[in-house]
Amino acid sequence: MDDEKRASGKKNIILCVASVLILCILLFPLYWAFITSLKTEQEIFQNPPTFYPHIVNSKSYAAQVETGDFNMFRSFGNSFLISIGATVIAVLLAVPASYGIAKYRFKGRKIMLLSFLVTQMLPVSVLLTPMFIMFKNLHVYNTWVAAVLADATIGIPFSILILKNYFASIPKDLEEAAYLDGCNRFTAFIRILIPIARPGVMVCAIFSFLYAWGDLAYGMTFILDQEKRPITAGIFNFMGQYGTKWSYLTAFAVVTIIPVALIFIFMQKYIVSGMTSGAVKG
Amino acid sequence: MGCCTELYLCKLARQPFSIRKELFMGKIKKKFRYDNVGIFFVLPAFIYMLVFVGYPIIRNIILSFQDVGAGNLVRGAKNFVMFDNYVELMGDKVFTTSLFNTLRYTVLCLVFQFVIGFALALFFNRKFAFAKPIRGILLVPWMIPVTVTALMFKLLFATDIGVINFILRSLHLIGKNIEWLTTPGTAMFALICANVWIGIPFNMILISTGLTTIPKELYESSSIDGANKVQTFMKITLPLLKPTIESVLILGFIYTFKVYDLVYVMTSGGPVNSTHMLSTYSYKLSFEMFKYSKGSAVANVLLVILLIVGVFYIKATTDEEEA
Repeated sequence: MDDEKRASGKKNIILCVASVLILCILLFPLYWAFITSLKTEQEIFQNPPTFYPHIVNSKSYAAQVETGDFNMFRSFGNSFLISIGATVIAVLLAVPASYGIAKYRFKGRKIMLLSFLVTQMLPVSVLLTPMFIMFKNLHVYNTWVAAVLADATIGIPFSILILKNYFASIPKDLEEAAYLDGCNRFTAFIRILIPIARPGVMVCAIFSFLYAWGDLAYGMTFILDQEKRPITAGIFNFMGQYGTKWSYLTAFAVVTIIPVALIFIFMQKYIVSGMTSGAVKG
Repeated sequence: MGCCTELYLCKLARQPFSIRKELFMGKIKKKFRYDNVGIFFVLPAFIYMLVFVGYPIIRNIILSFQDVGAGNLVRGAKNFVMFDNYVELMGDKVFTTSLFNTLRYTVLCLVFQFVIGFALALFFNRKFAFAKPIRGILLVPWMIPVTVTALMFKLLFATDIGVINFILRSLHLIGKNIEWLTTPGTAMFALICANVWIGIPFNMILISTGLTTIPKELYESSSIDGANKVQTFMKITLPLLKPTIESVLILGFIYTFKVYDLVYVMTSGGPVNSTHMLSTYSYKLSFEMFKYSKGSAVANVLLVILLIVGVFYIKATTDEEEA
């Protein structure tokens, strides 16, 4: 790092200022949504618009808790339950699968790997109707189970493709040393390999969660009752009903972003490695 | 096959028990050779995907050759109409608009997000104090649920209270407010803006990673040879980034081409079907008009186009893998 040429004093400052400017422009939509959620409806319609809330109004948040008309915290809970469920399924299935693909050359390995690659590119439109029929027949339609089952299909292939590289990079000697110490293949996998691949498992869990959290199509199509729907479907519904109630809508948006922001703040390094691993967003 | 097994069992029967056991175990061991055990680790995930993705794909193809509406979706007889749904689509103006829209939208999004993302990657590749932290924060737009992004851009492009109209008015570029989302041409523009906003971080971070793989010595020797910045960029940066650029564009295409949430939340295909994409039109046919078979046919067209592009992507990734 030390031999890298760093921009000298004045240039450094110019570049820093420029980068802050870029940041402000690109993140402006987020700022705007946030301050709109804190404005009164009256101030939102003021012309010229105010670039910070002159009267801070937390009513749009409080109203959601108090009135039963549209409870965003319940939708938040639904989303959370669905996303955690999908993440658990994705991780439980993807961890062994990626180990198998990385460490063994069995018959049909290529076909399986290829099929995981292909499922990543599928548009939801192809799956919606058949899944709809399937979930009706399984009697899980209009329950959170349907959304969990559907959302896991986004996380699984992504996780396998990422984790495969982590497992492949673990040297064989390590596994063999474990066998000498009395492990069999299964215990070696659990005790030695999974702990080493932990950062990869984290990436998978985070992305599986984010995919499920951001899902709209599945949650909206497979769950009918508003009180069972995830928060994204809640926002969409709300937009249809109260199209111009921007203070409520943006409050909704802010609440939806909270988990994403927390993940970003505490687990940023995993995000970068997940994004650069060459997988498609679901 | 059966004959061989019989022969094997006969031979086995003629051997003393200890040898018999050993031969039999040998056969089992051979079947469970080291490598073949691996399949048991993969099977649970594979079967899950087969049930919840593989089967629906087949089912969707069958559906598109049938005549299924609200009445016979879950139960009831389904008639086969063969290619009727596809033939019907050919004459469907909304379908052709959607197809053309999807292509136009994808290409325009790719161009803008790639150019801006590339520029930002080059900018943040310079060494200054804020480079890494700010580049990190810029990833946020990519992580935000698309529904929220759609909502934020709807607010920005709103007619009366929208900040974009305000800025344009203040700069005296427009006299009266533009109705962005309810005018055909401008609605598409708003959609592209929102998607580019999501796509910039993705392009930036992938190209940034690609840039770090270029050996520094190359830049040093080119500056010794007296190459200027443009020459260095054209002769060193671009050619060495070619694999990265290819994968960014292919992945970007796949992701953008199947866009659904963004369009559905921002415009729902309107005004007057002018911003329908293949995915949103398919959804509308299936879940709003209950023409499930026709909706499936549209989805299959989308799928075929994606698969054609996907072949390039798969070729690139598997080449890398086997190398």
